[in-house]
Amino acid sequence: MSVGGSAGGAPSAYDPKKLRMYGLVGSIVGIYLGAILNSALDTNVFSFFGAVAAIFAVVMGANAVRRVCAYGIGTGVPSIGMLALGMGIIAVMFGLSVAESLGSWFLGPIIIMIYAGVFGYVVGVIANKVIKFNIPVMEEGNADLSMAGALAILGWSFAISGTLGYVDIVNDVLMTGYIAIIFIAGGLAILHPFNANLGPDETQDRTLVNAIMVGGLAMVATGIAAIATQGTAAGLLQLVIGFVLWFYFFKMYYKLVKRDAAAVVGTGLLPPTVQ
Amino acid sequence: MNFDIYTIVYILEIIVGGLLVGVGVHFVPVGGAPAAMAQATGIGTGTVQLAAGSGLTGLLAAGLMMSVSDNIWLILASGAVGAGIMVGSTMLAGSWIYAYAVGVPFASAKVNYDPITGFSQPPYVAIGTVGHGIPTVCFVSGLIGGMMGGLGGAMIYYPLYLINGNAALSAMFAIGIFLVNAVIASWNIQGTIEGFHDPKFKKWPFAFKACAIASVLLALASVLITGGA
Repeated sequence: MSVGGSAGGAPSAYDPKKLRMYGLVGSIVGIYLGAILNSALDTNVFSFFGAVAAIFAVVMGANAVRRVCAYGIGTGVPSIGMLALGMGIIAVMFGLSVAESLGSWFLGPIIIMIYAGVFGYVVGVIANKVIKFNIPVMEEGNADLSMAGALAILGWSFAISGTLGYVDIVNDVLMTGYIAIIFIAGGLAILHPFNANLGPDETQDRTLVNAIMVGGLAMVATGIAAIATQGTAAGLLQLVIGFVLWFYFFKMYYKLVKRDAAAVVGTGLLPPTVQ
Repeated sequence: MNFDIYTIVYILEIIVGGLLVGVGVHFVPVGGAPAAMAQATGIGTGTVQLAAGSGLTGLLAAGLMMSVSDNIWLILASGAVGAGIMVGSTMLAGSWIYAYAVGVPFASAKVNYDPITGFSQPPYVAIGTVGHGIPTVCFVSGLIGGMMGGLGGAMIYYPLYLINGNAALSAMFAIGIFLVNAVIASWNIQGTIEGFHDPKFKKWPFAFKACAIASVLLALASVLITGGA
């Protein structure tokens, strides 16, 4: 659906280039840090780094959804979130599998990021040139979305399995079916913020805080899954951190909603029905 | 993996599957939010939800058939019928709500006479709306679209399973390919369409081209993956 009043690019306080850098660097560094600490110290308590890293990617993705959908794509905001996750899951499986056959899990996230970026860009070009959308930020936005979806899925997969090994992720995340939780929670975190906040009074900080909040909620979900795959200690740690993140950013979101609302009034209880 | 003649066949199957999904989306009567308020003809939800719903049912049906048989025609037929039933029952239940709860006659605003029944449409279209409900032609078109989507889903899933031998992985990968093609096709119809009688249907070659390019890239990636342990 189109967004009233903001055609021609949504105004933003945070530069998309900066957000993209933070998103990519934050998620890649976070995933590597977690994977290296986990394998160096032979533990799995650092798995939560993956879920925190995914939040960086989610913020980048939510900002890309905001930029592209502000032009009005006609099919609703959820479609582009599902596209991001669809491109992301293919990039993740492709990257991890290729890294495994090259003999080094270390290459995985880099291959994933490159494949996702290139594929997203191509989809953006198709949308503009073949389907004739003519949205100026489409190529850029789709590359961002694809990378965000891929890195978010990778982060959460790492948070559940505790390693970046392809075989472990296939066994712990895909065969168990937790990938479905990641898919929907990730889709929500990327598409929901703009879908919930869109309108003429949409502000960037409120949308992005909403993204972090839903990312925290997804971390609670991966924490529950991690209890089953990695044991109580690692899982509970993730669950608690996710809950704290969600709670903190929920309070912040509520504050921003009150800031942007014309007025906040109590309605009281429902009046008795007049016959 | 070893690259041989079968790999090319697998790549072609995945591309054809993606194209079937992309074209199939154009047949499904998607009404979007206006249809949810009975102000436009079609099913009251978005393209992606409908395409994903029918495609995933097709995948399940194909997977079920695959567990008892490895005959490709049976698997493809099972996928198509599964997805057709899914879209058909969605439209049927939707029709009950439109007929008995909302209380609108089924009418299309895009054609003067229903191409299948020959019934006149304009007298029944309420002023200020672009049709409502799911007329016969839309129902038939939706069934065709659903079956094409399911066929496409099964056609993607079957070679993937032969490549990596892992059902969960193949299903997730098929869902990814499915969503990408469905979203690109839904962008082409800009959200709403009534079926094959809609003037927008003539735009399908654009989606065909777009889905072909995307499917090639996806197919190349998907034949490179291995099944893990």
